[in-house]
Amino acid sequence: MTDLLRLRGRTRRHFFRDCGVGLGTIALSSLLAQDKPASATDPLAPKTPHHRPKAKRIIYLFMAGGPSQLEFFDHKPKLNELNGQPIPASFIAGKRFAFMGSSHRVNLLGHDKKFRQHGRSGAWVSDMLPHTAAIADELCFVKTCQTDLFNHAPAKLFMNTGSGLFGRPSMGAWMTYGLGSECADLPGFVVLQSGPRGPRGGASLWGSGMLPSTYQGVPLRAQGEPILNLTNPLGVAAADQRKVIDAVRELNAGRLAKTGDDEISARLNAYEMAYRMQTSAPAVMDLRGESKATLDLYGIKDPAEASFARNCLLARRLVERGVRFIQLYDTNWDHHGGVTENLQKHLPMKAKDIDQACAALVRDLKSRGLLDDTIVVWGGEFGRTPMGEVREFTGRNHHIDAFTMWFAGGGFRPGMTWGETDEFGFGAVKDPVHVRDIHATLLHQMGLNHEKLSVKSQGLDVRLTGVNPAKVLKPLLA
Amino acid sequence: MVRPALLLVLACSATAAAKVSFNREVRPILAEQCFSCHGFDAKHRKADLRLDNREGALAENDGVRAIVPGDPAKSELWKRLLSADPDEVMPPPEAHKPKLTAKQQATLRRWIEEGAPYEPHWAFTAPRRPAVAAQGPAAIDELIDHGLKEAGLAASAEAPPEKLLRRLSLDLTGLPPTPAELDGFLRARAKDPQGAFAAEVDRLLASPAYGERWGRWWLDQARYADSNGYSVDAPRSIWKYRDWVVGALNADLPFDRFTVEQLAGDLLPDAGESQRIATGFHRNTPLNQEGGIDVEQFRVDSVFDRVGTTGTVWLGLTVGCAQCHDHKFDPITQKEFYRMFAFFNNQEEPTMKVSEPTRDEARLAAAAQEAERALATWLDQRVAEARQWEAGLSKEMTAQLSGPAKAALRKPAAKRSVAERALLFAAGPGAADREFMALQRRLKETADRREAAPTTLVLKELAKPRKTHLLTAGDFTRPAEEVAPGVLATLHAFKPDPGPVNRLDLARWIVAKENPLTARVIANRVWQAYFGRGLVETENDFGSQGTPPSHPELLDWLAVEFVERGWSLKSLHRSIVLTRAYRRDSAVRADLADKDPDNRLLARQTRLRLDAELVRDSALVASGLLTRKVGGPPVFPPIPDGVMSLGQVKRAWNTSQGPDRTRRGLYTFTYRVTPPPASAVFDAPDGLSTCTRRNRSNTPLQALTLLNDPAFFEAAQALAGVIEKEGLPAAFRRCTSRLPAPAELAVLGKLDRLSAARTLLNLDETITRD
Repeated sequence: MTDLLRLRGRTRRHFFRDCGVGLGTIALSSLLAQDKPASATDPLAPKTPHHRPKAKRIIYLFMAGGPSQLEFFDHKPKLNELNGQPIPASFIAGKRFAFMGSSHRVNLLGHDKKFRQHGRSGAWVSDMLPHTAAIADELCFVKTCQTDLFNHAPAKLFMNTGSGLFGRPSMGAWMTYGLGSECADLPGFVVLQSGPRGPRGGASLWGSGMLPSTYQGVPLRAQGEPILNLTNPLGVAAADQRKVIDAVRELNAGRLAKTGDDEISARLNAYEMAYRMQTSAPAVMDLRGESKATLDLYGIKDPAEASFARNCLLARRLVERGVRFIQLYDTNWDHHGGVTENLQKHLPMKAKDIDQACAALVRDLKSRGLLDDTIVVWGGEFGRTPMGEVREFTGRNHHIDAFTMWFAGGGFRPGMTWGETDEFGFGAVKDPVHVRDIHATLLHQMGLNHEKLSVKSQGLDVRLTGVNPAKVLKPLLA
Repeated sequence: MVRPALLLVLACSATAAAKVSFNREVRPILAEQCFSCHGFDAKHRKADLRLDNREGALAENDGVRAIVPGDPAKSELWKRLLSADPDEVMPPPEAHKPKLTAKQQATLRRWIEEGAPYEPHWAFTAPRRPAVAAQGPAAIDELIDHGLKEAGLAASAEAPPEKLLRRLSLDLTGLPPTPAELDGFLRARAKDPQGAFAAEVDRLLASPAYGERWGRWWLDQARYADSNGYSVDAPRSIWKYRDWVVGALNADLPFDRFTVEQLAGDLLPDAGESQRIATGFHRNTPLNQEGGIDVEQFRVDSVFDRVGTTGTVWLGLTVGCAQCHDHKFDPITQKEFYRMFAFFNNQEEPTMKVSEPTRDEARLAAAAQEAERALATWLDQRVAEARQWEAGLSKEMTAQLSGPAKAALRKPAAKRSVAERALLFAAGPGAADREFMALQRRLKETADRREAAPTTLVLKELAKPRKTHLLTAGDFTRPAEEVAPGVLATLHAFKPDPGPVNRLDLARWIVAKENPLTARVIANRVWQAYFGRGLVETENDFGSQGTPPSHPELLDWLAVEFVERGWSLKSLHRSIVLTRAYRRDSAVRADLADKDPDNRLLARQTRLRLDAELVRDSALVASGLLTRKVGGPPVFPPIPDGVMSLGQVKRAWNTSQGPDRTRRGLYTFTYRVTPPPASAVFDAPDGLSTCTRRNRSNTPLQALTLLNDPAFFEAAQALAGVIEKEGLPAAFRRCTSRLPAPAELAVLGKLDRLSAARTLLNLDETITRD
């Protein structure tokens, strides 16, 4: 692509009007409205949104593997009543599922989890999530989320990029592309991971697709240096590093004067940002300044140990520093009933891993006045079937017709439940919500119009919400 | 939409009377504003109105005509475009189309006044050799100079000789020139400036590094990588295909043959191993090995990718858009998509063993057989012992045995293979028998050596053809009518050989002389590498949504020459790099900022940040570390700790030792899910879909990579050694191909050697082709 960086002295209007279309590149038509000079040297400079935003930041808690809505939020007494009986054929006629040739089953599966209604809102939450239950009045539950794909990697891509195919920009990339970053010493889009392995789909889940790599998510790692190549090479003292960076700056500046190439000014900026990141990224990871009360709130026993809880606290610290989009991946939510991932033993363990920290994050953000303009999203790439799956133990299969996600803060209505599922929790009987609607709504809250935020590629206006209809979920918004 | 200033230039150059050109000026406006609802796609066409051809635009529809030639006021299209009424105006506000500029309005109005003539889309008519006086590179300059003259712009002078050789070396081989090469060129140039440069072109085109550099260009398009992608991302062996590409380019295999071998090499009458390896092109699709998938779904996905990639790479068309519906902008029906699909729906996807010239297959086989015989003889002598052990096996003991051992036990003793007998003997009486263990080890080693032949992924036509159906909305569970293999009707005629129509017919259709697209598309993509931008800026879309060429005659000249010179890529490279346009200085000029800010008219060259692999290669050359070995299995240079744990399955990365640590970036093993970070950060493509143009981003993570990455630090340490031996100016020259100015030397002179070396490897100039 011909990038944004060659635009010194030229206006946004000129760029977007005259150069945008057909370049396989930037066509952010809203920016036509303003005649400000483009920031020639910083593609991450803050940009004016399409409309007044309700939220400035998103923390996305991604439960990788597909958590069971039926054990957590979608209370279906019928499952216990009809445990072991086949689901009526009308529900599954013509439907496809994962593992159809092997462990997929059609008999309903009950469970022994106790459900109660919580708070003034009376939201149903099972006893496995006591902390989440306690903040039910802060949350906006959507019971009827629907997606298109039922295998992990494609479904994760779909949830993140709006397409099951590789090569599309992820939600966080779209946000930083559309809005820029408000953080001068950390990336605008940060990824944190917990659990025994990386999520299926890897870096594509936070990739920038056809957008410049400037906009891709940067993993902050729990062990070792937080960002790859962040630390000086062994034996290189901080003073020497500074001397090198200064010399590079001086020589590059001389070259800039000689060639007039704005790429060099972009590079001058990049080196300064890199240098600041060398200090700021380790600082953000260092939890020694956090009080015991805070650590206890999140349930962090050892601040140096990698965990989902630690990542939640890091997310708050990143939000405080102006990072735009923070995504937490927690893996091993794929409870089919195998030896290592079953409903009896492992789902309660996973619930315990995340429950307190999720609630703590929402409470902590609220107490610091950050929840109003920070959206917290909780969910996986899909949910699980009302029918049981029989492997070594019991579990549930992947399910795409109805699953639960919750949203908090950033203008989402607190204490609300949206959508209704049928008696088995198989499908939506009222107010289905497609992944595209979720994308449109999150963009909307951030001040971006999902129909306008697009990029030209291969003759298409590529958008996060794709070509099929998507709607902003207005009833969910305060 | 194209830059109006430039259009004006081009329009002026076309005819003095300056009639509006439909293709250059009007079609882009209609395509942007109208075709998505009033275009080729019949199913989604609104109000039964079609504007992509004249017949439709002039037809009477409910008493009105969209266009009345000569009369804008009576033309509904004109009225609707200008209407202020939100119910009337077109395109409707919810389409969020950009407003027509005054210039665009004037263009449309004049076009209607001039009778609203349509033209076939430029890219669908065969290229014609333009009338130029000069030949070879001079013809290219003549066509470029014409545009500059029209715009009243002077061309920049030739770049200084060192910069020129640096540019040429990096462009042709991906490696910066060595000090000796620079000195040689400067000496030769003093005697014969033109001849010296031409000699360098010949030298570099003959270098094996040429095939490596341009091989990577092709591998981007082939979406090459060394693993399967998706969640499991297991490694795969397909590097023989990579080596085939490098070899084919070095041999200047004519591009038509290069194409046919990759699309259908297995079907050629004289198909040998090399032609089969070439079919790896379409085995570079990702493969989903996740549990619980419907294998057919992902097979169909890979066929979709093969159709789309073929369309993008050779035809420059977004064929993939017709997967779910008729194409909205270009004349490609959904049915045609599935007719193309049928060519690629008919293959097995085997793994092929590849012979190695240095391997003596017969000897390896004999050794393995001999080892097996020796073990069998030995087992025969101990048969009583084995029988006794087996008879005494309790249920509990049997349960402890390995799966294969249990399976062997279930077989009658007489039917067991030598390996099975050995397995059981090892589980029982032989557990500590040193003689037995030595025999067993020998068998394993000889068998391993025999198996160690490299393999590669190839295509093979199914014996029994698979039926192809149109898939409703691209959904593999919704097959509709059956379709036969076929091509795009809007292009040249399809003349398959007698007999069943197959990929070979498709490949030959793609490189047919009458094809208006392939030669243009490839010539444009080569041009793009030299100037940072193609003559057609949308290098992957020559359809109506793409940008028209900035220099249509030049593009045609390049395409016609390419074919007439036997599809020789080396000839094409030679004609481009020998032009004055290519050799111009790249410094930005203030006087161009207003008249041609994007440098479309090529008054100067352009500075380009090096591709990811070349950033690495340059550092290795400068520091003297580069291992010059062409081809072979991928290697594992040092990467930061923990990179491999980002995917679902943690893959091993056994860092190469010795010379393989410092091979060219082309040879670095690339996992699709966890790619080498130093490549990804410099925009190396991910191998998940075809890449016809790389991004060139400029980020802090790149700075961190050059400053701190272990591989770059190793290079810096080596470069510090160069400083010690040869001095700072020489090291500076190895990085930038020029000597430092005194002020530059002063800055570096204040640093210790290692810091100076690190500074040099971090310079913008070091990672830029000036």
